[in-house]
Amino acid sequence: MAEGLEPSAAVMEPPEPGRYLRKSRLPFPDGAAKHWLISSIFWLTVVDLFGLVLAMEFVSPEVFGGVSWLTFSRIRPSHVNGVILAWLTMMYFGALFYMLPRLVGTRGMWSERLGIVTCWLWNLMFLLGVIGLLTGHSQGREYGEFIWPLDIALLVIWCANIVNILATVAMRTLRPIYVSVWFFIASPLWLAVDYAIGNAIWRPGNIWGAPSGALANSLSDAMLNWWYAHNLFGLWLTPMLIALTYYIVPRVTNTPLYSYTLSLVSFWGMAFFYTGVGDHHILQSPTPSWLKTIAEISSWMLLVPVFAFTINILGTMKGNWDKFFTNLPLRFTLTAFFFYFLVNIQGAFEALQPFNRLTHFTNFVVAHAHLALLGAFTILGMGVIDYMVAQIWAKPLWSRTLTEWMYWLVTIGFTGFFSVLTLAGFQQGLEWEQGVPEVNVLPQLHGYYIARGIFGAMIVLSGIVQIVNVGMTIFTDTAERGRRETLAVAEAIAPPVQA
Amino acid sequence: MSTDDGRSGLPPEADERIPRGWARHPRERMLITPIIAGVGGLLAFFTVVAIVVWLPIHTFDPPASADWSPLSNQAVAGRNIFAANGCYVCHSGYSRPQDVRNALYFLYPKISQPGDFFGSDQSPNLLGTERTGPDLSQEAGWHPDDWQRAHFYDPRFVDPMSLMPSMKSLFSDKQVEQLISFVQMRSGKSGLLRYAGQLYSKHVVITNQGFPPAPIGFEGAHATIAESAEPKVPAGQIPEVPNLAQIDRGYWLSGDPLPVTPQNLLRGKRVFLERCVGCHGIAGDGKGPGAKFMTPAPADFTSADDACCGGDTGPGDFYYRILHGWPGTGMENFGDRLTVDDIWRVVLFIKTIPNHTLDRNVLPQPKDYITWQPSKELLGWIATRQKMTSNASFDKKAVTDPFMQEAMRMFPGLAAGDTFYINGTTETLSLTAARNAIRSIYFDLLNRAWAQAKARGDKLPPVWQKAIPPEVPGQQ
Repeated sequence: MAEGLEPSAAVMEPPEPGRYLRKSRLPFPDGAAKHWLISSIFWLTVVDLFGLVLAMEFVSPEVFGGVSWLTFSRIRPSHVNGVILAWLTMMYFGALFYMLPRLVGTRGMWSERLGIVTCWLWNLMFLLGVIGLLTGHSQGREYGEFIWPLDIALLVIWCANIVNILATVAMRTLRPIYVSVWFFIASPLWLAVDYAIGNAIWRPGNIWGAPSGALANSLSDAMLNWWYAHNLFGLWLTPMLIALTYYIVPRVTNTPLYSYTLSLVSFWGMAFFYTGVGDHHILQSPTPSWLKTIAEISSWMLLVPVFAFTINILGTMKGNWDKFFTNLPLRFTLTAFFFYFLVNIQGAFEALQPFNRLTHFTNFVVAHAHLALLGAFTILGMGVIDYMVAQIWAKPLWSRTLTEWMYWLVTIGFTGFFSVLTLAGFQQGLEWEQGVPEVNVLPQLHGYYIARGIFGAMIVLSGIVQIVNVGMTIFTDTAERGRRETLAVAEAIAPPVQA
Repeated sequence: MSTDDGRSGLPPEADERIPRGWARHPRERMLITPIIAGVGGLLAFFTVVAIVVWLPIHTFDPPASADWSPLSNQAVAGRNIFAANGCYVCHSGYSRPQDVRNALYFLYPKISQPGDFFGSDQSPNLLGTERTGPDLSQEAGWHPDDWQRAHFYDPRFVDPMSLMPSMKSLFSDKQVEQLISFVQMRSGKSGLLRYAGQLYSKHVVITNQGFPPAPIGFEGAHATIAESAEPKVPAGQIPEVPNLAQIDRGYWLSGDPLPVTPQNLLRGKRVFLERCVGCHGIAGDGKGPGAKFMTPAPADFTSADDACCGGDTGPGDFYYRILHGWPGTGMENFGDRLTVDDIWRVVLFIKTIPNHTLDRNVLPQPKDYITWQPSKELLGWIATRQKMTSNASFDKKAVTDPFMQEAMRMFPGLAAGDTFYINGTTETLSLTAARNAIRSIYFDLLNRAWAQAKARGDKLPPVWQKAIPPEVPGQQ
């Protein structure tokens, strides 16, 4: 560094990039993390656009003039699967490949190259999956729509990532493992088993479409379907949200985690209580009552790990709240944290029979799903990406103003989206209670649907802003201004010597 | 175990490697190792899985309900199309107790039972999570096939308020027929019975009115609107007889209970524009976009002495057909969607259509209303038939034969002893003939589905299950 600050005639020229911090001196290669992160940013906008198509079709069903692959019922599974498996999963793996080496004290993942290969395969697998769904190749099981060959491909790639993670943990240099790492180890394992059992991969059936990957007994299949679907959230998306929050909050605030014991409660509580809630999706279906009871109780017991996590984060934030306003990744993370808390309280009530009777089948459920997947996981993901892009490329983000725009667009967009759909859900539920048929309620929902479309467009815009901001950060020399300021200070201290 | 500072499991040299900002907990107990996180996490997971996955799957195997029936091969193909195209994202596949309690009338005639989902042709599950459209578990038989075809082609053709995407670019003619087959067979025996009633009524109506069979698949989109061959009226009968046979005789001569006011007419026009124009056309001429799919063709209301105000078009007849639908035609039952008052208002309005009240920006006025004048022949015929004693709906003795119940639902205007002829034929029109025909169609459908399910190797209940007669659930 010393020669960089040496006063000379050359300092008046803009310095070329990489002059002061060479790539080879970066401690972590982060090749895998970069690939997964960049992919996830693009998928975010793709799945956002799917969502926008759906919102527009709710306003006017003929808006796309009957283009077959833009049909609502084909876009909807693509949207759902895309949010979970393309955007959030790729973002989580990117974050995991970034955080894990730093937490266990290795220079990188066990094999960065393997991580890069799995990233390309995952993108390919998902692209094929979406093309399949849009052309009517689907298993027809909600949240498990991908056809059988892609299920297998997904599991193979997933297992390769697990090997990478476990091997990295095995070669760690820090003996005790941090809280986030517990989840990094357990959560991919849970999801692999959940996906294999829940998608019934041992029953391929008609491998190019329905019926496949289902149990022969329809109601057993439904119980399995919803157990599986809910554990996509319970055993993968949520634990990873917790792991990332446990990383970002202490790291950004430079404060140790409030309580180790509470972390234990949140980890084991999640493992025990989250696994059994799935049946609350079919509470009034003709399935066994005892299973519904277990699902309802589990949904409430879930509040134990949720409160443990909440107290832990609030305790860590004590005395650090000024950073909430100044540090954007932290603001994203804590906003997501707030929505995560809300979604669990809401979900617990939703899983109660009397409440469920009113809200089930309505847009209230859609609002709830977006509270988790958009309010909590996606907002967290956007913050984490901004944090990691700055860290990995070792330079500040291109524009703080754009980041602020991104934050407010997605936060206001989501809050409006959520409120509108919640109201629409109550409207539907109360009308149906009066015996009003579904089609008569549709005209009353028109205003809500328009408002939802507008708020949804804000969310799409936020994702596009992120693409621009991250792209410009990577491809332009955003560190330049910082260097100029440093040099100005250096000059003030030691003016250039005239020859 | 090292006892240097009570930090068990930590080598002393680890201190230097711990990142800045990560403080130690003062009492590091219960340290989690990778093995505990991985293996322990999986153990916890599998414990719960044993309870909530393995146990229910291996203990919950309800036998087929009395109402269960298998799907035909064509219906199974349709079911796969239904699943592969994500129809379940808007249509649930089971009706809940509160659905039946709140919306018993037509919409949800029965609560889904565990045994309704027997059989491997019911896999994958289609229970669904959202209802943008109605639940479809009880849909079979409420609409005839030609209505379904128009609806799949473009749902707005038959229901202008629908948000369902059009399927015109999705499916071939063959696939549409498979889908319809699934829709018409998915509701068990009670649905099959309704469907058998639809099929028989369709036969009676198109024979009686001299219409060709409806075009299949999406061929209707390129067809012309079907025309009647005006069949010959049998001796000793008036032309309206078969039509009147499908209207409860209590309604034959009833007047409209609402006064002819501008307000009532305007409300009637609004409802007509919201619900009826898909088939009956924006001009009320029966040439709506859905009309090409339908036989018989939808009624043309623009002529003062025909479908608007001629023979069997008394206000009560209109009311009954809107309330209950007209089985055999594409006319569906709006009783589940419109209030009684609104139906009577539509009836008022229809009788102003010949005076161009459907034109843009025209407020229908009481002077436009055409009072119905039954012909002498009609009055004479009705006078000999409309006796309270021979009206089936006044007969409090419950009929237990489900096929007779269905025949009476399709032909509520026939009394027990009535025997007429379908126009243009020598075919008998009576409750007994209808009952026998519906019964044989029902068993034909059921037996073929059983044989095909058996050939597919599906799990089947004991063979006596097939013989349990269907029930007519709910208020039909």
